[in-house]
Amino acid sequence: MGLDIRIPLGLLFLINGGIMSIYGLITRHSAIYERSLGVNLNIGWGLLMFVFGLVMFLVGRRQKWQDDPVNPRPWERGGGQH
Amino acid sequence: MNLSIVDWLIMLVYFIFVLGIGFALKRYMRTSNDFFLAGRSIPAWVCGLAFISANLGAQEVIGMGASGAKYGINTSHFYWIGAVPAMIFVGIFMMPFYYGSKARSVPEYLRMRFDEKTRAVNAFSFAIMTVMSSGISMYAMALLIQTLGLFHGIIPDNYIFHVSVLLSAVIVLGYIFLGGLTSAIYNEVLQFFLIVAGFAPLVWIGLKNVGGWQGIRHTLPASMTHSWRGMAHANTNTLGVEWFGMAMGLGFVLSFGYWCTDFLVVQRAMAADSEESARRVPLIAAIPKMFFPFLVILPGLIAVSITPHAVSTQPAMVAGASSTAPLVDEHPHGIIPQKTNPLNGSPIVDSKGEPVYNYDLAIPVMLLHYFPTGILGLGLTALLASFMSGMAGNVTAFNTVWTYDIYQAYINKRATDAHYLWMGRMATIGGIVLSIGAAYAATNFNNIMDALQLVFSFVNAPLFATFLLGMFWKRTTGHGAFSGLIAGTLAALLHHGLTIPTDALPGIHGGWIAIVHHYPSDMAQNFWTAIFAFSANLIVTVAVSLVTTPRPESELVGLVYSLTPKPVEHHLSWYQKPTTLAWGVLGLLVILNLVFA
Repeated sequence: MGLDIRIPLGLLFLINGGIMSIYGLITRHSAIYERSLGVNLNIGWGLLMFVFGLVMFLVGRRQKWQDDPVNPRPWERGGGQH
Repeated sequence: MNLSIVDWLIMLVYFIFVLGIGFALKRYMRTSNDFFLAGRSIPAWVCGLAFISANLGAQEVIGMGASGAKYGINTSHFYWIGAVPAMIFVGIFMMPFYYGSKARSVPEYLRMRFDEKTRAVNAFSFAIMTVMSSGISMYAMALLIQTLGLFHGIIPDNYIFHVSVLLSAVIVLGYIFLGGLTSAIYNEVLQFFLIVAGFAPLVWIGLKNVGGWQGIRHTLPASMTHSWRGMAHANTNTLGVEWFGMAMGLGFVLSFGYWCTDFLVVQRAMAADSEESARRVPLIAAIPKMFFPFLVILPGLIAVSITPHAVSTQPAMVAGASSTAPLVDEHPHGIIPQKTNPLNGSPIVDSKGEPVYNYDLAIPVMLLHYFPTGILGLGLTALLASFMSGMAGNVTAFNTVWTYDIYQAYINKRATDAHYLWMGRMATIGGIVLSIGAAYAATNFNNIMDALQLVFSFVNAPLFATFLLGMFWKRTTGHGAFSGLIAGTLAALLHHGLTIPTDALPGIHGGWIAIVHHYPSDMAQNFWTAIFAFSANLIVTVAVSLVTTPRPESELVGLVYSLTPKPVEHHLSWYQKPTTLAWGVLGLLVILNLVFA
């Protein structure tokens, strides 16, 4: 169907993962991480999402969308009614 | 609740992508086939993820978190017993008929297999039901946004509900109107990954806080951390159901009735690019489905395991004797807030004067408790995405059934394809407008919505018997199917009218004819209603079919198991065959049940 879902999916995770990583970098020693038991979730998880997005985006760009016609069923091949 | 600009930015990016997908797909929507069936061109894995995401709407995420907090890990029966076996069955045995018959919808399959009247019953009840579910989804979302105070300080408080309803309606309308089913499927895939991305760190940090699974087992009563313990009798487990009622009612009748016959999910598989793909769709979906309890039920369990000293940074929310002792009481509540009266904000207490907890807030409260700014935006995005996909799934199923099974069947039979495409878009608008109506009806007449949902559960309960007999017994006739459906619904109605859960008053909970039996819980009553409905349908369909004339066998090729050639699989390697995948999924399922037994 023209558009490979992995492209928007990859981009979404690239952007949002990127935003979270950068924000996590800026707020490295901030008090906001008391909630998450001192773990900087933004930078760790953000980077992971960024990498996932990158992989999805690249794979989506590389592979062509499969637009094969629907396989006919055995009894439809001979009859030719459809 | 205070959200920072980063949280808003993350949400905004998501909404841009949602609508962007719709715009990108617009030019591919040339025929009604593209719009309603995604041109039957979507790869199996995409359909598979959409297959579970369409079901993972508001009621599911919020409801499963709430049940996890209330009942414990045995809520996972809704996944392990109540979904996965049925998904394997629909993939292996039923998909060849849905996909191979070239039916464009489940009601249309019923017309091809049986007759017009059987289709009509299914099409009309399904159409009304989807609009209502989408409305209830909308209502739940708006209510949650209001409760969390998401827009607090941005728009006046008394408009938050209306703005939320309108905003979600406009966005869902936008992307379905533009990109049809493909757009809905793509957004469901985004939603799937967002739920994983948003909830996985929540579970991780939560488990770290309460000392892992061992910590939860240490804190909570054993009945909440073992999925099979005490299932021999209804009084010895938190669900209030014995194993037979659960296995038959939930595991067989309700679960197969939903996953094998509900067009909302089957439509996702029908969009696959080949019959093998279509058969693989529910099987692929079953794998993440098995592990979803860890994402949606576990947060509920963690929320009630957080002992008071772990939340000592916050002011004690609840006063009482339990706040100092370890959790020994029957229903630990952890960080679950108390239910409050929406009018004056005072806490609600039950008839014994004990506080009532709002378990529906288990997951949202967990997000707010553990997530700092930034990732909080991601968590809320995941939540909103699941709400909207739940709505979109219903709307796409509605526009298809309306256009093909009601409009084309009874109103305008010979229009051009372009006209039906136009009708599909109009039906999308109509479906959304009706959903908004349903959402407001839910705010004003809560009991009426409950009653309607109950009636629909009566219509749905017997459905699977019709499909089972239709697909696997060639003697089944249209008259048999139709009278069986009616009899099944009547049996459900009768059973509900004659039984009642203990500690409920006659009325909407049952017993409105006379009380002949008490069930230990409403869940048990619900499961047994389904069992009775299914059995009545089975018996009546068989009986009526035996005295009416069956259709000639030549007309049933491709629609009935014994008359359809087995799908050819010679060109597939052993690992590509759907049955291999099915065995793998079954093996995993057994292991999971043993681990958490």
